[in-house]
Amino acid sequence: MNKRLAPAVAAAAPAGGLTRRSMLALAGLLGGTAALAACGGPSTAGTGGAMETAGTDWASINAAGKITWWSNHPGASKPIEEELIRRFTAKTGIEVELVTAGADYDEVAQRFQASAGTNNVPDLVGASDVWWFRYMINGQILPVDDVAAHLGIETADYNTGLYNDYEFNGNHWAFPYARSTPLFYYNRDLFAAAGLPDRAPKTWEEYNSWAPALAEANGGAVPMALGSDTSWSAWWFCNIMWGMGGQYSKDWTLTLDDPRTLEAGEFLRGMIHERRSVAVSAADYVADFTAGVSACTIASTGSLSGIMEAAKFDVGTGFLPEGPAGPACPTGGTGIAIAAEKSPEQQLAAAMFLQFIGEPEQTAYFSANTGYMPVRTSAADGAEMQAVYAKAPQFRTAVDQLGTTRVQDWARSFVPSGDQHLTTALEKIMLQDTPAAEAFAAASDAIAKSFEQNVEPYL
Amino acid sequence: MSNAVRPALTARRPGGPGTRRRPAGYAALAAAVAVMILPLVWMMLASFKEPDEIYTVPIQWLPAGWDLSNYAAALERVPFGAFFANSLLVTVIGAGLKILLGLTTAYALVFLDVPFKKVFFAVVIFALLVPQQIVIIPNYTLVAELGWLNTYQGIILPGLASAFGTFLFRQHFLSLPQSVMEAAVLDGAGHLRRLFQFVVPMSAPTIAAVALVSVVNEWNEYLWPLLVVDRAEMMTLPVGLTLLQNNDGVTNWGVLMAGTVLITVPVLALFFVLQRRIVSGLTAGAVTG
Amino acid sequence: MSSSTLSPPGQAAASGPGNGSARAGMPPRRAEARRPDARRRNKPSNWLLFALLAGPNIVLLLVFTFKPLLQSLYYSTLQWNIGSAIARPVGFRNYTDWLTAPGTPQVITVTLIFTLATVGGGMVIGLALALLLNSRLKLRGAARTIVVAPYVLSGVAVGLLWLFVFDPNFGVTSALLQAFGLSSPDWYNDPGYALAMVIIVYLWKNVGYVALIYLAGLQAIPRDLLEAASLDGAGRLRTLAGITLPLLGPTTFFLSVTTLLSSLQSFDIIQAMTRGGPLEGTTTMMYQIYQQGFVAGTAGYSSAIATILFLVLLAVTLLQLKFVERKVHYS
Repeated sequence: MNKRLAPAVAAAAPAGGLTRRSMLALAGLLGGTAALAACGGPSTAGTGGAMETAGTDWASINAAGKITWWSNHPGASKPIEEELIRRFTAKTGIEVELVTAGADYDEVAQRFQASAGTNNVPDLVGASDVWWFRYMINGQILPVDDVAAHLGIETADYNTGLYNDYEFNGNHWAFPYARSTPLFYYNRDLFAAAGLPDRAPKTWEEYNSWAPALAEANGGAVPMALGSDTSWSAWWFCNIMWGMGGQYSKDWTLTLDDPRTLEAGEFLRGMIHERRSVAVSAADYVADFTAGVSACTIASTGSLSGIMEAAKFDVGTGFLPEGPAGPACPTGGTGIAIAAEKSPEQQLAAAMFLQFIGEPEQTAYFSANTGYMPVRTSAADGAEMQAVYAKAPQFRTAVDQLGTTRVQDWARSFVPSGDQHLTTALEKIMLQDTPAAEAFAAASDAIAKSFEQNVEPYL
Repeated sequence: MSNAVRPALTARRPGGPGTRRRPAGYAALAAAVAVMILPLVWMMLASFKEPDEIYTVPIQWLPAGWDLSNYAAALERVPFGAFFANSLLVTVIGAGLKILLGLTTAYALVFLDVPFKKVFFAVVIFALLVPQQIVIIPNYTLVAELGWLNTYQGIILPGLASAFGTFLFRQHFLSLPQSVMEAAVLDGAGHLRRLFQFVVPMSAPTIAAVALVSVVNEWNEYLWPLLVVDRAEMMTLPVGLTLLQNNDGVTNWGVLMAGTVLITVPVLALFFVLQRRIVSGLTAGAVTG
Repeated sequence: MSSSTLSPPGQAAASGPGNGSARAGMPPRRAEARRPDARRRNKPSNWLLFALLAGPNIVLLLVFTFKPLLQSLYYSTLQWNIGSAIARPVGFRNYTDWLTAPGTPQVITVTLIFTLATVGGGMVIGLALALLLNSRLKLRGAARTIVVAPYVLSGVAVGLLWLFVFDPNFGVTSALLQAFGLSSPDWYNDPGYALAMVIIVYLWKNVGYVALIYLAGLQAIPRDLLEAASLDGAGRLRTLAGITLPLLGPTTFFLSVTTLLSSLQSFDIIQAMTRGGPLEGTTTMMYQIYQQGFVAGTAGYSSAIATILFLVLLAVTLLQLKFVERKVHYS
């Protein structure tokens, strides 16, 4: 761990506009306080970069007896997580302290980043799709490959896409945990009233051809209301964009000016402003859907149980509509990473916990009770999940759709503020009818600059 | 003093200000009160509603039933009791010490004769202008280094210094009639007695004003406790409240509004009980100087 | 800075004519110990007592305000991601980056609109409320309590509660507007309306404080002065402009300083309601500091914006002080 030396500026602290004489007068008051205050802050001495694989000889390590886990309990899963911990402690004797470190992924990430170098670092931390890379370039998390090999974790049984989301430079930096995808939800009653088949539209073109009938069946309301929030719109837009062969970036090369990316932007713009087959929700797209204001929407698989509970009508689910280039679906949600600055004993215990909750039985237990994806292939087909599918066939759609997922473009998930800039661009397209070329060009510049300053020097 | 605090007692001369345009005055008063109170009523009503009563078009004004299930859900999901105790402790200690620090500092600045007093006063004034946000990252690092994350001192200490209070108290002390202080000196009173037996009683209105602002700020502080606390059992109410906002799911406004009621009602009740004192303290101060 | 230039509300009219009988006829002597008393000045016991009384507060200010202020100035010259142990010195690049960023003009505009509307609007509405509450209407005591009440509520709670009121589909405003045959503005998706929304909520929460302080100032104005004016036949507006407002000068100044400081630092309402969106239409400089520092994690850049905000605040306050020294004289 780098020593966090105080910059020289701390010594001059009391000088805030004071004279030399009065500084002497203050010296007595300050006592040891100035010395106390002289710690903290980054060092400019090192060269930076991600933490190297430590090369720990795991065989010689004994696991610690107690670890800490920072979670936001995705999908209101606190009791489920507590049960997983209970089972783990019963099996291994290792205690796990579960900490509510925030209301959402961002809050957990803020706290984890701010905790660097303090004695408050957890052993395990939630690492969502847009945050784990930041942890990595900060040197805050441990690559899991070595310790996974030592523990004999069957990484091959994890859903390949979900596990490889955490891959960079030949290492994996987290294990998938509460993972979700966007899903097409529709109001079966309204679909029937519109004389449409009881299924999700196969393609966006098909959806557009259905839209007028759906609008008519629902008092002229635009049939699909989508959310435009940060961390959301640039995620579901992957489906439209990839479906048309576009992408935000290819590795570190921005492709926001690629004709297919621009075409996807224009396609979205056209659906909202010309065809009026899609609208931006005025407030909460899920509420619009469950209240029957909109006939269908795109929402996270994690919202499944909430939607089924709130809706007064029969809820249907289906794959996201395809584009000309075929089906395309992004994944999201959170994984769990191991903190780099803890002792190998702590890290080993943390890895054992990840191994445990990744066991097919535990994975299935978590999925069945939250609606998140079973991250292990064997769990997805196991008996427990079969029982879930039988009860809620809608859930099956979500799992089946995993076959069409792919790893996200780095411009969104790896560049600080990348998602923010893309969201702003999509908001311009959706809310202000700005041409895609113009909106994406601005985002492209901003992301390029952020990459240059906040990522490139650390690679 | 009495004519300002209870102007109603002064003779109502016809033609005096305020006697004309009574109906318009009442209409304006009613409008102001309505604007202030209706959102709070709406919050109360929503806290009794089920999701399908909230998400309906047209709007449903009254809840179907008055059961407390949303409150139960809010209390079950997050430890409101701990939030409340933490908020109370942080507010009482934080605001109390802050007022004390302000009083003693202002007293020293006004009544003690030492060189460079102006410099110290400048330190106070200048501190008033430093936005909290500029110091938040370094302060976070410091508090973390001290191992004070998730502790009361970590929440309270960085914001404890009194700049605003010191400044107001100093201005007030300067306006105190010197005769009183001279009497106190003749009385043989030491500095501490002078402060607490002579100066403080004469400063009740200013103290009330500073206390109101300090208590309100401590109780409602959000950004700092959000950063230094990550354990639910150490969270204050505003930070804990946001835990009720769901992610990756449907926001249950009924539960969220129940939580909002739980955090607003105690402070509203306290204010209603104390408001006469606070408000008359403030307004009386205008007259007694 | 003397007591006559910047008075807290309590002393708004302290040197006005005709009040404070305890002091009647006394020269405006100050209680402050006079300088020439040289023998006492350097008595060690004075120092000790001073250290005891003022020391803790001064130390806290130095440790938790001045030291971090300087640290922050230093961070603003670094390329530093929060969470990283490593930083690179980049000189003034963070400053030039912010000044040349395409989004900056909008952030400045939003900050200006938000600040002017909340400070200026707050003072105008607060004064109007104070005048109303100061007139001889029945039930004004209860009204006064209710008007001030929102000020004591948590900004987060207020933000959430209003978010629910403004909901364009299911909210109260929408239902009320529909009753008049109007449709709800797109409060959440239109940057202009979203900014208006957070301003309205900020005013709702804070205008009671302004009204309360103005009320204190108003009640300090001797009633006979106003009544003499009305006997003179001066109209209400003329009385307001000619007598009331000038006498409220110090209160106005006090409020302009304190409300400006709190407006520029307001965070919780925006965080609870819009998180700076849509289209960054409610991103004030304050919010951007938080967002860049803790969401984007670019702590150096964030510190540079914070420094710029601090300098602006400093300049504005100094200007206010200068202005008040020249203008606010009424005794």
